[in-house]
Amino acid sequence: MKNLLLSMALFLFSAVSIFAQDSPYQKAMKKEIAKLNDADSLSKYQQSANAFARISQLNPNEWQPYYYNALAYVYQGLDNSLDLNKKDEVLAKAEELIKKAEAISPENSEIVTLEGFKIMAEVSADPASRGQSMSGAVLTTFGKAMKMDPQNPRASLLMGQMEFGMAKFFKSGTEKACGLVKQSQAIFAAQDDEALKAKLAPTWGRPLAEKSAKACQ
Amino acid sequence: MKAILILLTIYFLTLSAEAQTTISGKISDQKGARMPGANILIKGTYDGTSSDANGNFKFETSETGKHIVVFQALGYKPQEREIEFSGQPLSFGISLAESINVLTAVTITAGAMEASDTKKAVVLKPLDIVTTSGAMGNITAALLTLPGTSTVGNDGRLFVRGGDASETSIFIDGLQVGNAYGSTATNVPTRNRFSPNLFKGSFFSTGGYSAEYGQALSSALALNTLDLPLRNQGDLSIMSLGGGYTQTLVKDNNALTATANYYNLAPYQSLVNQKFDWEKSPSSWDTEVSLRHKLGKTGFLKAYAHTEGSNMTIWQKVAGESRRGDRVHINNRYSYGNLSFRQSGKNDWFFYGGLAYSHNRDAINLNYVPVRQINQLGHAKIVAVKDFSPQFSLKNGIEYYLKSYSEELVDNQLKRSITDNQLNHFIETDYYFSNRLIFRGGLRSGYSTASKQFWMDPRISLAYKLNNQGQFSIAAGKFHQLPDEKLRVLQNNLKNAEASHYILNYFIVNNNRTFRAEAFYKTYTNLSTYNGTDLAPVNIIQNGSGYARGADIFYRDKTSFKNTDFWVSYSFVDSKRQYSVYETKVQPSFAPKHNGSVVVKHFVSALKSQLGTSWSWNNGYTYNDPNLAGEMQRKTKAYSDLSISWSYLPRPNMILHIACSNILGRNNVFGYKYAAQPDDAGSFSRIPVGQGASRMLFAGLFITLSRDKNANQLNNL
Repeated sequence: MKNLLLSMALFLFSAVSIFAQDSPYQKAMKKEIAKLNDADSLSKYQQSANAFARISQLNPNEWQPYYYNALAYVYQGLDNSLDLNKKDEVLAKAEELIKKAEAISPENSEIVTLEGFKIMAEVSADPASRGQSMSGAVLTTFGKAMKMDPQNPRASLLMGQMEFGMAKFFKSGTEKACGLVKQSQAIFAAQDDEALKAKLAPTWGRPLAEKSAKACQ
Repeated sequence: MKAILILLTIYFLTLSAEAQTTISGKISDQKGARMPGANILIKGTYDGTSSDANGNFKFETSETGKHIVVFQALGYKPQEREIEFSGQPLSFGISLAESINVLTAVTITAGAMEASDTKKAVVLKPLDIVTTSGAMGNITAALLTLPGTSTVGNDGRLFVRGGDASETSIFIDGLQVGNAYGSTATNVPTRNRFSPNLFKGSFFSTGGYSAEYGQALSSALALNTLDLPLRNQGDLSIMSLGGGYTQTLVKDNNALTATANYYNLAPYQSLVNQKFDWEKSPSSWDTEVSLRHKLGKTGFLKAYAHTEGSNMTIWQKVAGESRRGDRVHINNRYSYGNLSFRQSGKNDWFFYGGLAYSHNRDAINLNYVPVRQINQLGHAKIVAVKDFSPQFSLKNGIEYYLKSYSEELVDNQLKRSITDNQLNHFIETDYYFSNRLIFRGGLRSGYSTASKQFWMDPRISLAYKLNNQGQFSIAAGKFHQLPDEKLRVLQNNLKNAEASHYILNYFIVNNNRTFRAEAFYKTYTNLSTYNGTDLAPVNIIQNGSGYARGADIFYRDKTSFKNTDFWVSYSFVDSKRQYSVYETKVQPSFAPKHNGSVVVKHFVSALKSQLGTSWSWNNGYTYNDPNLAGEMQRKTKAYSDLSISWSYLPRPNMILHIACSNILGRNNVFGYKYAAQPDDAGSFSRIPVGQGASRMLFAGLFITLSRDKNANQLNNL
């Protein structure tokens, strides 16, 4: 009897502890993060954005739902099938969400990187009239993110991409740009994806790093 | 034991046996068009979905009881419905109404030309002001390539639509700047004192502007200073005319910028032949300090101080006299300080305002007779804006101005002065009927203690956006301005002159092409007229009147030619007024009928260079010939100036800039000075008012020193 009670208690406890490891919030987040990583079309990005919006209305004090919500909008802002007004609209929405994430988690290298990524998308929406005035802000923002966390592979990767563009423009060497891309590849290679995923931490950027590394060769 | 088993059963049952409710439907916009990508969710749960390509959606929920279902989409007002879930399928047909989107909604463009990096309905980017060939870092010169302006080469200030230069007021962060242009001798052109790289954007109105601005009959130029700079850096400039250094320090939410510059035209003028007879070439120094502090998420507190001094001595020929002419020596000291803030409050309140003060002292030596002139302008302002809804906002502001001017014949200890206190209030509302239609109405009132006059200026504008992104705006309003201080000092109680503006504007931006067309009509009453001369007026009365009417067009294109950005503007102004010493309505010398300009910027990446050219033209300035009957009977030949520039970026942090104005060496004449008395043959002899030199050459090297090797001074050209 006692044994039964004990095993019962253990059973219930383990059931609860499974829940503790993976709350509905975490479950939902993991599912949606995986979906966003695989998304490849405007409608899928929008579905992701909506899904994260649903999660954040229940969990307004977590920064990750805002972060991925914003990321889904930045991806849309990079889609060339949208016109400039539409791009600016989604990027303005991304900015609003980044601000919310930042308010919850200040001095977060990932959020700052996303901010830089968003400005980068704004520049590429209209490079002729924004390139000169806004490129500086992109570089400074990535620089800030790298300083906060030198092990952030997305910050060094995007900085490398930006530097690559500048080097081509000024017809100067791409060593610095490619060094950054290599650096990000090394960090990607060393990172424990499963551990990061369990923390709902960003893992995206690996395929882009490989693509950029090829451009460097 | 049994009890435990029952408990367990219940535990598992509650996990699995739940009623499922299917929710489906279709989302459309107000016109019935299907809306993909809308978000449908049950508040307080993870349940929800997105609408598909046809606007349809369907999902299931295990929730029961009363819940709120939310339908939302980017750019639309969300809708909520309270629903009872009971297992019965539910279906919705939802039509979402557009929300006001400040990014894409209609904007009032009548009279307005904006330079901004963030807004859509702009004609310029802030950087354009510095990269426009011929502007040579002078804000005013860049604005003179825009429609509605006239280049008056012997003055250098902004002349807008038949108005004289005093009819344009200049504001920095909403606060007026006194003596915004450097002091200079008659017929020697001046420059704006403020460097364009202080500003993140500008708003230039050629008429019909907001009730927020007053005491300007024609035009308002509002300049907005930069917020937080990006990084610590030093900017060094070495120019053919002088040099300077700026240090910027940024930490967290604070920034400090300090600048010092020195200019001296003597070395340049000794190398290049000058038409002006300089005894001492112009030289000047300036320093400025700017402090910025970010307040919370959106607020800013800014302090800015600028002080400068300049010197020049010039001999100016007098018609009918063979001597060297009049000797004019000017020593100027100028200081401007500005303290401003902006902050959002709770419940959609927004506040801004500040204090500004400028002091200008000109010690003039006219043929060795010392004259001393002092201008002071103090401005205090506080504005509260309340957004009652995304559609409707109300702005309310109070302003106080202190204006004083004195002039003194130093040797005779003869002094006269005027001090005026002005109190102003303005209220203005913006109402969006939809994303396509906006109304703005405002009322400005003021009182001046010197003129003992109270006045009211009602102003309205309306803008409507068409299907194709183009939009129409209209604006109308009344504008009051007290006469120039040089008249008021003679008669302290002079009243306001009055102008009415009517403007119709069409504006379209599409795919990096901008087209703007505007027609206007402006009337003037109560202009000051007098006998004597401009320098010594007598019998001032205020019953002069006049009008200006015309149209202007502007086209800018950044895409049609690869790596090329160009704009063309043309302005037609038909203006006549009875003012100054004129007894009849005449076309003022500063209002040429036909004005045009072309600006081209071409980027050559192989040369790492930007090549620029600008051409400015008008069909000539009227002038008065005392040998003929009547007034302002004659007109000079057409004015034309072709400038070129070359900016070379050998390294990202280094720019070499070379520019030359009037490359063709055209001998432009802006008018004629006539002798006061006829000569022996009975005719008045004359001398032309021309340019200081055939051409102006400029070379400068700009180096940015920072850890970030890509930083440059592109915005310093």
